[in-house]
Amino acid sequence: MEDNIDIFSLGKYGLKSAQNKSSDMKCAEIFFGKNKYVNIEVEENSVKNSEIGTDRGVSIRIIDKRGSLGFAFTNKLDKKSIDKIVNLALKMMKAGTEDQEFKDLPIYYKKYPTVTGLFDDNLRNMEIEESIGAIEDLIKVCNDDDLAISQSADFVSNYYKKYIFNSNGLEANGKETICTISSNITVKDKISGETSFGHDWQAERQFLKLNATKIAQNALEDAKRNLNGIKIKNMKVPLILTPYGVISLILYPISSAINGETFQYRRSFLVDKRDEIIGSKFLNIEDKALINGLAGSSSFDGEGVPRKNKKIFENGKFLNDGLLHNSYTAGKEGIESTGNASRGSYSAIPSIGTTNFIMNPGNFSKKEIIKDVKKGIILDYTGDSPNIATGDFSGLILHGNLIVNGEIKDPLNETMVGINLLDLFSKIDAVSKEFKIFGAYHAPYVRIEKAQIIGAAH
Amino acid sequence: MEIADELTIFDEKLITKLNQLASNKIDYWDIKSGVGIGTNLDFTDQKSKEVSSYEIRECGIRTFKNGGWGFTVIKDLSENSIEKGFKNAIKLAHLTESFGKNKFTIKERDPLIKTFRINSQNSIDDISIEEKIDLVKYHEKISSTYSSAIKNTRTFYMDGHSNNVFINSFGSYIYQDLSVLRMFTLAYAQKDGILQRAVNSVGGIGGFEISKTENASGLSEKTAKEAIELLDAKSPVGGKFTVIMDPKLTGTFIHEAFGHAAEADTVLNKESILEGKIGEKVAIEDITISDDPTMGQGKTLNLPYELFGSYFVDDEGIPSQKTVIIQDGILKNYLHNLETSSRMDLAPNGHGRASSCTARPQVRMGITIIEPKDWDVEEMIKDTKNGILCQDFQYGYTDPTTGNFQFKCKLSYKIENGEKKELMRDVALSGMTLEVLNKISAIGNKKSFSFSDGMCGKGGQGVRVCDGGPFIRAEDITVGGLG
Repeated sequence: MEDNIDIFSLGKYGLKSAQNKSSDMKCAEIFFGKNKYVNIEVEENSVKNSEIGTDRGVSIRIIDKRGSLGFAFTNKLDKKSIDKIVNLALKMMKAGTEDQEFKDLPIYYKKYPTVTGLFDDNLRNMEIEESIGAIEDLIKVCNDDDLAISQSADFVSNYYKKYIFNSNGLEANGKETICTISSNITVKDKISGETSFGHDWQAERQFLKLNATKIAQNALEDAKRNLNGIKIKNMKVPLILTPYGVISLILYPISSAINGETFQYRRSFLVDKRDEIIGSKFLNIEDKALINGLAGSSSFDGEGVPRKNKKIFENGKFLNDGLLHNSYTAGKEGIESTGNASRGSYSAIPSIGTTNFIMNPGNFSKKEIIKDVKKGIILDYTGDSPNIATGDFSGLILHGNLIVNGEIKDPLNETMVGINLLDLFSKIDAVSKEFKIFGAYHAPYVRIEKAQIIGAAH
Repeated sequence: MEIADELTIFDEKLITKLNQLASNKIDYWDIKSGVGIGTNLDFTDQKSKEVSSYEIRECGIRTFKNGGWGFTVIKDLSENSIEKGFKNAIKLAHLTESFGKNKFTIKERDPLIKTFRINSQNSIDDISIEEKIDLVKYHEKISSTYSSAIKNTRTFYMDGHSNNVFINSFGSYIYQDLSVLRMFTLAYAQKDGILQRAVNSVGGIGGFEISKTENASGLSEKTAKEAIELLDAKSPVGGKFTVIMDPKLTGTFIHEAFGHAAEADTVLNKESILEGKIGEKVAIEDITISDDPTMGQGKTLNLPYELFGSYFVDDEGIPSQKTVIIQDGILKNYLHNLETSSRMDLAPNGHGRASSCTARPQVRMGITIIEPKDWDVEEMIKDTKNGILCQDFQYGYTDPTTGNFQFKCKLSYKIENGEKKELMRDVALSGMTLEVLNKISAIGNKKSFSFSDGMCGKGGQGVRVCDGGPFIRAEDITVGGLG
């Protein structure tokens, strides 16, 4: 969006144009997005590439009285292009099938909740030179270590603006910034010659909250913890999930399973489990959009509906209203949208997503959780994810270690975990006070009383 | 295509101007710009969820100086913004160079001045939206009504037609007119509280004829049938087994567990298990692996379109070509882009690929295969005492630095005393790549050879690929399970 383009008048023009052109139209929505980003990449532990990019575009969604939805987008912003996509969307709308379950687009909202700290002026005007300090901190950590042989890393900052208008009079607009730093470090054992890698990342709304040195140190420790893996025998033992492991095995699967659309199509392992206690009392999960300054926070969703804070699981009980909806899936249930419409860009129709998705911490210390385990496994990272339809998980432990007499020992090769998530939720017997934030996920350490481990040793 | 006119901005006058701006300031530059139109159709339970259409234009400007790259992305194809973007990119290359400690050059290659077009029989531009919707409705109807146990279906169709210009400081000017079509079908089946799903896709480079082949026409029926079959499948018991992989799974193994390690950027970044192993024996002698993304392979398979992973030139203007990676068990070549070939003092082999004009080329595979040998599939099964026959995959992943991989298979059959027995679901195979390449005990013949296609992700970019091979058998593979 060039500064000389008046988005408000273009938006109104688009809605009017759609109304004038079709007597079948029930409602319409127009969405403008603008984005500016900076990206610095490190390869072989040296600055390799710097990039600046811009994107902007507009999309229109028109729904007719039959409930058929037409959608079109372009990245040219003038009246002629708006007319073109209105015509395209109307053509698509006419060709689509009827859908009686479509109720309406969101209504006009007088007030939106205030969420502060989502925008950083430093990032809006970010120049490459200013962010290079963070990159140099990363490089130093790898340079200073004896075993580290390489690092690939990057810094990305994003400044974006969005505007939503619909034919029910809804108007919402806002600007946000976010920056991310990530580090992948490879280490090599001097005697065995074996290599392994470690990873960490951080996403923040404010540039000054990034701690590059810490992220690289974590990646380095992670890599070292995974050096010289061993194969183990099959065993049924306690399983401790690190915060990263909690995202893979608890938070991400739950966020998918409570998605209103997945649920309504009965593609979720939590279908028919509403209002039931399915987890141990340590399972407490919330979706909280309204916390100031966090990566997953915002005051309105991808359709312009005000955001909320919601409880999903309380003391192991899957709450009856613990589902996430956009206006379509909410309409289908005859309730109001929960403000969980998600929209990555102007080029996509709104889907459903979480905001800040949080597993509440417990009373144990991380140390206590590990100390009591005579023989067990700690899982940090699996490239896998559970089957959301069945809740079955059978995945490789890419980063994980053996626990012997309360201490973290050898890393594991070719070792898999097999468990159904309902079983996993009910077997949670400890949750740590310490927790970690990865972007919009907040996760503590979690201990599972027992899990099947498949090893490759004979 | 009307909006393709916007690309005429890249004329001699502009190129001369860019060369003047670049002179002495940078060592290399290239620009890739494209305009595209397309359609997305998303149906669930025979109803449209998304019927959409778009047109976009985009441009990526890349500059290089002494080991440092600069890149700017713009979405407005005016002379003014291209020049501004170019100047910014020059600044960025200087900046990167001033901070980077790795110094190297990009070797000059022969310029290529050429136009490439895909001549499809039924251009997607000429097919009405109604006809595309009828196609999707046809598939939705077949899968929805296949059995009363099918509870939920989804069909996703997408096509795109793009015109691209590539210019660089070697003097290349490449114009491409390409169209792509891809379709997915998904089915969920439910019985006695058990829920299973199956997914299949077909994709190619060409026109609407891609959706009319035998394979494409049968897609929804195949998907529904698989979802129903999986309802009665047993969960596997973990342990060590002899495993026979079908061509789809063989292809995934070669691509995912091995191919990524042969990408020279991974090697230079010391993240590859193949670093320093050129000329060494890394697999049993019967194994030959190559990557050949050249056009024209659809014809050899009697398909009326080009394979999904094919391309005329890569995204750095280097023609696609066949590269042998392993010959008779010996590691021969890595896959290269302009940078890695310059740094390793070799010729580039056409593997610098980007997901779009707005992304920087990385080293990527195209069509990766393991060559067939002489085993008959029936014999291979007969020769197996206690094993699993694994067909097709759900997904796979690999730790690049150790080669520890896992694949989740779609349909797997128990083999007992040379006989194919009951179906199992969600069989997870795990191993260490370099160990498994040496534990292969049988490689299927030409008759058993086939391809599959998909999107491959790396560094946030997805590119079109194919992979394939014959049936192969590997000994002593770890299989995961819930029990």
